[in-house]
Amino acid sequence: MPRYELALILKAMQRPETAAALKRTVEALLERGAIVRNLENLGERMLPYKISKHSIRHSRGGYFLFDFHASPAVITSMLDHLERDIDVVRPTILKHQPPTTEECPGMDQATLALNLKIK
Amino acid sequence: MNSFASSRCLLRLSLKYREVPGLCQKGISTHHENTDAKDMPDLTENPYKEPPVRCILCDAHVDYKNIQLLSQFVSPYSGCIYGRRITGLCEKKQREISKAIKKAQQLGFMPVTLKDPLFIKDPNICNIRHPE
Repeated sequence: MPRYELALILKAMQRPETAAALKRTVEALLERGAIVRNLENLGERMLPYKISKHSIRHSRGGYFLFDFHASPAVITSMLDHLERDIDVVRPTILKHQPPTTEECPGMDQATLALNLKIK
Repeated sequence: MNSFASSRCLLRLSLKYREVPGLCQKGISTHHENTDAKDMPDLTENPYKEPPVRCILCDAHVDYKNIQLLSQFVSPYSGCIYGRRITGLCEKKQREISKAIKKAQQLGFMPVTLKDPLFIKDPNICNIRHPE
């Protein structure tokens, strides 16, 4: 099964409510047959810009990262579920990008010549 | 020299080709170069070839979550992404950084019209001088 990453921004709430929201999300994932690998808390911080969601203008949010394996068919229904949750500010599911083992070729002489010309 | 296809090509040749011995004006030449001679140059790798210049992010993993790194390539006034002539990155890394910045902005990790105030005092790695 492919590996996905759920970058979740939750409303700034008290600890028990945040815990309940996270539990709900994990249960929804497991219900759809996903295997949750890891859950990281990136901290509660100021949002980079004000986000209006579910008729509330948010300025603070809790950032969480879910690492999971799931079938691709499950993703749309998962996103739909998250959009309907009133405690979620911005849900995004992305494909997991592993750090590339490919070596960077570096800049060739043509590009360097062009850079010097521009300067 | 053996690559002529038709007589029409030969007629349009410059003067020097007509004077080369072994070639006739019409028809395909029968002169074949002797490639077995020992005085032919041996084409090996250039021994004086310089190693490829590596940019500052070569072999570094670029992530959309690492907004401190991404903010270093963004203008502190308008939040616009600097081009390659300013950042000095190689093509691959410049594209990766741009894509990561756009992704972070959309996901709600990085601001769009400005640079995150926490990172304004970061050292300047781009080839741009800001007025004091």
